[in-house]
Amino acid sequence: MSQMTDMRKMEEEWLRTERLPHVWCPGCGIGIVLNAFLRAVIRRNIPKEKMVVVSGIGCTGRTAGYVNVDSFHTTHGRAIPFAVGIKFARPDLNVVVFSGDGDLFAIGGNHFVNAARRNHDLLIIAVNNFTYGMTGGQHGPTTPTGAYTTTTPYGNPDRPFNIPHLAISLGAPYVARWTTYHVNQLQNSIYKALNMKGFRVIEIISQCPTVYGRRNSMRSPMSMMEYFQKNSVINNKASYEEMELTYNGKIVVGEFRNVGGIPSYEERYEEIIRRAQE
Amino acid sequence: MTEKHLKEGYYFWSGDVAAAEGAIAAGCRFYAGYPITPSSEVAETMALRLPQVGGKFIEMEDEIGSIAAIIGASWTGERSMTATSGPGISLMNENIGLAVMTEVPLVIVNAMRGAPSTGLPTLIGQGDLMQAKYGSHGSYEIITLYPNNIQEAFDLMFDAFNLAEKYRVPVMYLLDGLLAHMYEKVYVPPREVWEKKIIRRKRARKGQLPYQPDEDMIPPMPLIGEGYNIHATGLTHDERGYPDLTPQAQEELVRRLNEKILKHERDIWKVEEYMTEDADVIVVSFGGESRAVKAGVNLARKEGIKAGMLRLITIWPFPWEYITKYSADYIVAEINYGQMYHLVREYSDNDVYQLNKMGGEIHTPEEVLKRIREVSS
Amino acid sequence: MSQNKKFKRKATVKVLEERCKGCWYCVNYCPTKVLQVSEKMNAKGYHPPVFKENIDENVVCIGCHLCELYCPDFAIVVEELE
Repeated sequence: MSQMTDMRKMEEEWLRTERLPHVWCPGCGIGIVLNAFLRAVIRRNIPKEKMVVVSGIGCTGRTAGYVNVDSFHTTHGRAIPFAVGIKFARPDLNVVVFSGDGDLFAIGGNHFVNAARRNHDLLIIAVNNFTYGMTGGQHGPTTPTGAYTTTTPYGNPDRPFNIPHLAISLGAPYVARWTTYHVNQLQNSIYKALNMKGFRVIEIISQCPTVYGRRNSMRSPMSMMEYFQKNSVINNKASYEEMELTYNGKIVVGEFRNVGGIPSYEERYEEIIRRAQE
Repeated sequence: MTEKHLKEGYYFWSGDVAAAEGAIAAGCRFYAGYPITPSSEVAETMALRLPQVGGKFIEMEDEIGSIAAIIGASWTGERSMTATSGPGISLMNENIGLAVMTEVPLVIVNAMRGAPSTGLPTLIGQGDLMQAKYGSHGSYEIITLYPNNIQEAFDLMFDAFNLAEKYRVPVMYLLDGLLAHMYEKVYVPPREVWEKKIIRRKRARKGQLPYQPDEDMIPPMPLIGEGYNIHATGLTHDERGYPDLTPQAQEELVRRLNEKILKHERDIWKVEEYMTEDADVIVVSFGGESRAVKAGVNLARKEGIKAGMLRLITIWPFPWEYITKYSADYIVAEINYGQMYHLVREYSDNDVYQLNKMGGEIHTPEEVLKRIREVSS
Repeated sequence: MSQNKKFKRKATVKVLEERCKGCWYCVNYCPTKVLQVSEKMNAKGYHPPVFKENIDENVVCIGCHLCELYCPDFAIVVEELE
């Protein structure tokens, strides 16, 4: 058996297979991201009891329910502070927040900002499908200006978050963006981030053909993937302006920040305990 | 490095400090909170003291993050707490529901201020009694405790944590603007004495599903990092913890979440009965207000009126048996427009009267006496 | 299809049909086109892909695992030949 075949077998052990098929729509990108994530984790030889997955609410929020490790489906927007509690109490665990753009950046935006500032030792897998899928396709904090959703029937007047820019400005030591088309780069990025410390953010541009694509001339799963394929540009040294996402425009992907040696909150608190007990 | 624990002796503490020290003595090792008057000294004490005993303190970005963090920490087995005041509880309520639904032990201190809204930040209110139980959406039971002096603010923390752990439920620990900032002498017994009072979580049997209850209706709690592959969700779930969105699963789960508390209410109830035995009029009160009520009852007794006081230490589940057991008339003295009054009225066959102030101060003993005279004439 | 003959057959593709939701990423991304949409329908009403090996002798699976990596439903297992 080859390594890849072994990995596929192990993947089944990391899934709550009795719950498959999962709730996600045909062609939904979240499954692709989960697939890449599990492979990266397996490659890292992380023991299952040392891995914790925390999700918020929404389509991506359902991820925690399919990962066969200690996993928590929390309240809307609160995956990060929930994970902060786990990580701070048990710094030996690998704690991953696996959630969507609305959950992490709209209702949970304050937690994202402050957890990044404190540099908690968390890996954030942020699946950005440009919309609130679970509630039927309303516009969210990452919907490109001009896009059509159920709550922007005349086009979106909002400006979307530039997530890598946001994360870098907060000092996150690892920041990357890929699309679900980039399955290998994504897996390698997660693999790399799993071995780092601090607040690591990977944004994955993902397809929602069911409620986003069909209102924006990308009705089929493949048409959204083709959009990612044709419009993605890999540029690790992209400027903040280039990282901005526009309606049907270029998607700049890559590994935008990768710096080691920034102490995490959990590491800094060890020093606090030492001082308190002097 | 050596842990620094409280030594036996007498301390001069505010209610906030006593609650924090009581929590640490009762085994609390994780605190996440956001400052708010009049509870901030709980956070300050925790920031100072928790690392001294190897615990963790974190000041979060808001109250929502604070309660989310302590729910996460509680899953690792740490006895976890937060403290806030009414506005903070309003923000925490959604996650209180999550903790109820996923059965996570927590202690939440609410130093009540005058309310609604920002109200009277530094002054007493007792308007959060209904919020303590009914704040989050859905039908649920939680436990609410309320001391009335600083020694008790320390001692009752053991009950708060023990009940939370025993019943896998959040415990609301009420203080008020008066108790939070009032200083009194507190006796702390030797560590070996108070450590014996700590009740730990029960552990799951081998092969027991994470939400499979024992005969007492309470499922033992698996912990993160021990290979249980726990799944917890705020969705209606089965005994594996997996979502089960059927009326049958909802019926079974929500009934059990309520009944695991209500079937054990006699184990939870704590009250102080003061001269109630022969009383014609019993004043029901709690927290800071009950200190004036006791003085008022004493004044009434001097005048020959058979008055007594029933002080609720357990607010929820409501200790209704202590209402039904007396045939006296009741006055419910509270610093709000009338909340526990409705509960007393529900259980009493006799007349129930109100004595209210909207907040900012408690009644004077003379005001209590005046009301006792009015209803007993 | 004849160009595929320059590749050596390295693997077979197993489809876990009940998990499939018919997005066809596997069919589209296969570099040697070894998968096709089948006629049969699974319990959820989707047409899972079928491995063409037995139908078309020109088909050669090169064991790249792309179908497996793109499958959002964990419905594909690429089994490499010894």
